[in-house]
Amino acid sequence: MEKNMLDEVIKEDTLLVQKTLRSGQSIKHSGNVVVLGDVNPGAEVIAGGHVIVLGTVRGVVHAGAVGDMTATITAFYLNPTQLRIANLISRPPDGDRPCPDHPETARIADGNLIIEKYQPLK
Amino acid sequence: MGEVLVITSGKGGVGKTTTTANIGAGLAMSGKKVVLVDTDIGLRNLDVVMGLENRIVYDIVDVVREQCRLKQALIKDKRFDGLFLLPAAQTKDKTAVSEEQMRKLCFDLKEEFDFVVVDCPAGIEQGFKNAVAGAERAIVVTTPEVSAVRDADRIIGLLEATGLKDPKLVINRIKPQMVKKGDMMSIEDMIDILAVDLLGVVPDDEFIIVSTNKGEPAVLDKNSLAGVAFRNITKRILGEEVPLLNLEPTTSWFEKLKRFVTRS
Repeated sequence: MEKNMLDEVIKEDTLLVQKTLRSGQSIKHSGNVVVLGDVNPGAEVIAGGHVIVLGTVRGVVHAGAVGDMTATITAFYLNPTQLRIANLISRPPDGDRPCPDHPETARIADGNLIIEKYQPLK
Repeated sequence: MGEVLVITSGKGGVGKTTTTANIGAGLAMSGKKVVLVDTDIGLRNLDVVMGLENRIVYDIVDVVREQCRLKQALIKDKRFDGLFLLPAAQTKDKTAVSEEQMRKLCFDLKEEFDFVVVDCPAGIEQGFKNAVAGAERAIVVTTPEVSAVRDADRIIGLLEATGLKDPKLVINRIKPQMVKKGDMMSIEDMIDILAVDLLGVVPDDEFIIVSTNKGEPAVLDKNSLAGVAFRNITKRILGEEVPLLNLEPTTSWFEKLKRFVTRS
């Protein structure tokens, strides 16, 4: 899974965003999106493929926006308003939730959107 | 040639006008020639906060429509020789001035003054666009509330889009006791989200309400903690390095004594 993702990011049409996305800013791209910065509340990233954020996700990220169920969202810190992959939408549970201090990946497994600790390739 | 600063925030009521008045008075205290420009056409307030409301004859709209000379519209402050105010019009709206007109106005003003401080209206529409049109540096004011920080983030994005890089942040109305208890966003939390340089932190101070009602900027009062904070902010604008105010709740002399006894 991970290997797949990284290979695709390298090969395919990938957009590199070299700034923090602030409230009201939106990135739409048909391929993968890599953000070197944060995605703040009120900002959105909509990608046809995978999304990688080298920073904190606090806003909305939609990966596989044209229906790719294998798309993933990976970030240093995942603390989003909402995550979407293909046609699945999920939001964090209500109430205070400590933001994990390690990178995480969101993907679809058995029809559910799950978040797991990012596992680097050995 | 002077410099044009815009004070903005996105959200209303966070203290843009108070900040503008205090920074203006602070810079004038340091001997600079300063003009404050109120761009909140239709909802002008800066004149009231400066205590100069009753001296308005001409305003910014008269100037850009060339119905008067720029010098005629400038109101000299009561307290400082080097401080002037260009008031907004109250009977017009934001569309009465265009971005191009603002740019020219700022250019004309900075020939005369060391600092042109522009008070921006709330919102992101024409009034905001006018206020930032002629600016070279931006100061974003926020309070420790989620909604104000959200709007500040949006504003920083818009400022960057108009080419105003590296805006500076003023955090207004912080309550150290509430931060300590974890009931209020801390300075670190806000810097974490906004990722900009901090220009200063102003504590919540009841004296500000008294001073704005009286039309006397708090920066003039040596006993006001907010006044000291604003004085430090103006020093930082002038390039001095001033440490942040210690806002820790002051402990009583009894507690200090107790601490002293337990230590020895």
